[in-house]
Amino acid sequence: MPEREARRLSLGGRVQGVGFRPFVYRLAHAHGITGWVRNVNGAVEIHAEGESAPLQRFSEALLAEAPPLSAPGTLTTAACAPAGHDAFAILDSAADREADIHLPADGFVCADCLAELNDPANRRYRYPFINCTQCGPRYTLITALPYDRPNTAMRDFALCPDCRTEYEDPLDRRFHAEPIACPVCGPHLAFAPSSSAGEPSPSRDKGRGERDARAEAVRSTISPLSPTLLPAGERASDDEAALAAAVAALRAGKIVAVKGVGGYHLMCDATNDAAVAALRARKPRPAKPLAVMFPDLDALRAAVHATAELEAFLASPERPIVLLPKRAGATLAAGIAPGLAEIGCLLPYSPLHALLLADFGAPLVATSGNLSGEPVLTDNAEAQTRLQRIADAFLHHDRPIVRPADDPVYRVVAGTPRPIRLGRGSAPLELDLPAPLAEPVLALGSHMKNTVCLAWGTRAVVSPHIGELDSAHSLDTLAQVAADLQQLYQVTAARLVVDRHPGFGYRRYARETKLPLVEIWHHHAHASALAWEFPQHEDWIVFAWDGVGLGEDGTLWGGEAFTGAPGRWRHAASLRPFRLPGGDKAGREPWRAAAALLWETGAAAPFAPAPLHQAWTAGLNSPTSSSVGRLFDAAAALAGVCTHASFEGEGPMRLEAMATEKGETIALPLARDAAGVWRADWTPLLPMLADDARPLAERAATFHLSLAQALVDQASRLREDTGLARVGLTGGVFQNRRLAEAAIAGLEAAGFAVCLPQRLPVNDAGLSFGQVIELLHS
Amino acid sequence: MEDTRILLAHGNGGRLMRELVAEIFARHLANPVLDTDADAVALPPLDGEVMVTTDGFTVQPLEFPGGNLGSLAVHGVVNDLAVAGAEPRYFTLSALIEEGLELAVLERLIASFAAAARDNGVAVVAGDTKVVRRGEGGGLYLAVAGIGVRRAAVRLDIARIAPGDAVLVSGPVGDHGIAVMLAREQFGLSGELRSDSASVLPLARAVRDLPGLRFMRDPTRGGLATVCHEIAHACGHSVALQEDAVPLRPEVVSVCEMLGYDPYFLACEGRIVAVAAADSADAVLARWRVLPDGRDAACIGRVEAGGARLILHTALGGRRVLDELEDDPLPRIC
Repeated sequence: MPEREARRLSLGGRVQGVGFRPFVYRLAHAHGITGWVRNVNGAVEIHAEGESAPLQRFSEALLAEAPPLSAPGTLTTAACAPAGHDAFAILDSAADREADIHLPADGFVCADCLAELNDPANRRYRYPFINCTQCGPRYTLITALPYDRPNTAMRDFALCPDCRTEYEDPLDRRFHAEPIACPVCGPHLAFAPSSSAGEPSPSRDKGRGERDARAEAVRSTISPLSPTLLPAGERASDDEAALAAAVAALRAGKIVAVKGVGGYHLMCDATNDAAVAALRARKPRPAKPLAVMFPDLDALRAAVHATAELEAFLASPERPIVLLPKRAGATLAAGIAPGLAEIGCLLPYSPLHALLLADFGAPLVATSGNLSGEPVLTDNAEAQTRLQRIADAFLHHDRPIVRPADDPVYRVVAGTPRPIRLGRGSAPLELDLPAPLAEPVLALGSHMKNTVCLAWGTRAVVSPHIGELDSAHSLDTLAQVAADLQQLYQVTAARLVVDRHPGFGYRRYARETKLPLVEIWHHHAHASALAWEFPQHEDWIVFAWDGVGLGEDGTLWGGEAFTGAPGRWRHAASLRPFRLPGGDKAGREPWRAAAALLWETGAAAPFAPAPLHQAWTAGLNSPTSSSVGRLFDAAAALAGVCTHASFEGEGPMRLEAMATEKGETIALPLARDAAGVWRADWTPLLPMLADDARPLAERAATFHLSLAQALVDQASRLREDTGLARVGLTGGVFQNRRLAEAAIAGLEAAGFAVCLPQRLPVNDAGLSFGQVIELLHS
Repeated sequence: MEDTRILLAHGNGGRLMRELVAEIFARHLANPVLDTDADAVALPPLDGEVMVTTDGFTVQPLEFPGGNLGSLAVHGVVNDLAVAGAEPRYFTLSALIEEGLELAVLERLIASFAAAARDNGVAVVAGDTKVVRRGEGGGLYLAVAGIGVRRAAVRLDIARIAPGDAVLVSGPVGDHGIAVMLAREQFGLSGELRSDSASVLPLARAVRDLPGLRFMRDPTRGGLATVCHEIAHACGHSVALQEDAVPLRPEVVSVCEMLGYDPYFLACEGRIVAVAAADSADAVLARWRVLPDGRDAACIGRVEAGGARLILHTALGGRRVLDELEDDPLPRIC
């Protein structure tokens, strides 16, 4: 008998909650290895005995064949004495205080489960809640760690004998799949009409009455959210009835609120103009683009252009929304993304959506089931109440959603999809810090597009998108997510990190925690989040262009450039400042920014009321700003593209969408102010924007190109001042592809290396993490 | 009077001061108890629980559509007593006058003070004047102490507020804030809008005996929202206002829309915010609406358990959190 060796192997990273121990068990069986595997804190520890060659193959396969949902870190290996094990065992978890916990995001159904979903012979055929250790909900379903079934939303679903057998068999791919479920013992669907949807819904379906009657019949046989009410067999058939009723309603042009993994969607037929118009009228959401869920890639290709890489990304377990260029002649309703060139596209992201889209057979609008700016709704009763005037019907299910996760959104800029919103599948986003923090902190991010970031040691975790912090629901969600992250990761923040702005919605929450606060300047946090992504660079020129954030001089910044590095950013360039009449209102009404620029240059703004000019002159509610976002608003208003925005960023988005390829470049004068800050003067753009003799599309292009050139000019001056040649672009303005790509091209032509964030949103969603980085270096 | 304006000498204790007190203050404020030669006066016996309050007043401009500093000061102190359930009886008045103030203006303001006091059954029983140097005062500051009496039957207490209670307001909010701002900035807007500066005593008398009435307060600086915050903090529950139920004059709405102000934070000077048991809300409204200053009274929201927040339920179904006023509100749309 050849000599047996033994090794002690240890693996960190994302190895818990992703089926790693069963994977090790099966691998050991396959290679004839004996010993054991166990979870130790956040890592997996393995004792492996066997002959030299199989032992080596086993060790290599641990990383090479790791389960798709896992993300193992470094493998450490040490030889040890064989203990004479004659089998391989999964040992109970060993826990001590210093936990290194990783919390998986929610993932799409895996290929194995998808095959079962479509296999009529399988006991989970067409079961909307099929999952295994490699797929399905995680973040939205875990109530506490360790990740065991009693600590999930599945706690109250007692396993049937078949599921229990799978759950307890180490060789089964559902061994310890905590959300395991089947039609006999798992969650079910329930269809319910709305008690009071808006006006009568548009319909293009002649058999509507009959179908409504059917839906009514379905409703009367199902009591939503009472999993034990009906015998299992009947409940399984009711899943089909509920699904059929939802499909029928959608076919009839109705709006259905569909409960998914991280919250509700409002769905309707994406090819039905009247249905889309009704959804817009009821939400109300007159113009903000709506996301579309396609049954499959073929259907998606018929509507938009996507590269093979983007198709693979769309089909990845994250199942993100990606903004893709509209294809001419597509059959989608015109009201999906009016005035814009792109559509937010996604593929079904759960088995329920796979069934729904397959049965419906055509793309569906899939917009968040919420009120504008609020977190997505997760609770059946709350959704039924708060969406009753929008949705004609509800497709509920009875698996509770523990905390919301909205869909993640990406846009391709400079050839790479970059996150605009973190959500289901992409968050919690776990990141490593370059150095350890002195104490655990919770960073509360921004007021808009809020995320929070818990950080301790060398780890940081960014929450999914929470929303705008004007509403009670958003603030309640922030408090819940902040508490949950601390509880799940078993970390207690000793300090809060907040924006310097005294009026951000979380300030009261922050005061009430009684924790010490560290205040970070808004644009420093933006710059530091970017710098973290490119740790090889010491000093930078960073442009932080966005809406508004409070600046060091007490004015509202948003067109700034800094030189330096995290912890020592120096304000180096900006715009000629202007005063915004009506303060916050200017963010919703681009005509105000247009008036501000005209008045600032001594020109008249005939479209603005005279008393407003008087108030502006007297300094009433007219704060000083250097925001590029507001400059874009002004441009959109002066060009007549958008004078009143129905959603944040509408003016800039429409201006970008209409810009032609070609335009001229108007030079913006650049001069140092008294503080030595280079300031670009936007004045020469005003006559161009208002020049009705030029085509709109050309004016839009010229605006983008001129701003990009102004950025290059500022960078060149700063290079002369400092010798720095590395430029970072951050802030929500750089979601604008036209501007970002023109700036990158100009900078590269001038010999700069250019970096744009890729892991974190360039907008305020990245601010919480940036606050942590800034704190770490200050 | 040798001059048409206040001089520093009007405050030096000499002849000019004596004449000023006699010709402007004593003449307008005369009543049997007031004795300008005495250092202190004795008050007649008071019948009931004695209530006392004090307040200082400044406003720019000193005269504005719908009122002036004089009437505003009386209404402010009357209202503080009235919402506590009391009948105002005696005031003291301390006037800090800025050098250079026109005597005619001073006389109008004091006459207005005196008239408002008479209208509310108040006797001014003690007073003082000081003159401050030019540039050190806003024309005229008034400091007023008020004494009133309350009958034992009145039981108003912020601690009695409970979830489910109704929140009511006696009329449109924000009129004073906008009217004064327009007058101060001399906007060319039509002068339709007047300050709501008024005594709320008739409104308070009409409802203070209702057993279901829990609490009253007159919104002044910081407006309706600030009173709601005070209620929320004191009782530990949230105040939920229904956006479309809050009475607002169209002029106030349009100025707020234009200038970007939030009407809920604008000052009022003649309104009551009341909290009443839900089943008493209609009774409060009925008693208010028959009064001239209560025609537009409305139930604007209710008290919700926990949270101690102010939430505005919008017409679209949103629940907007209205934070307490910090400094000047800064834009935060990023």
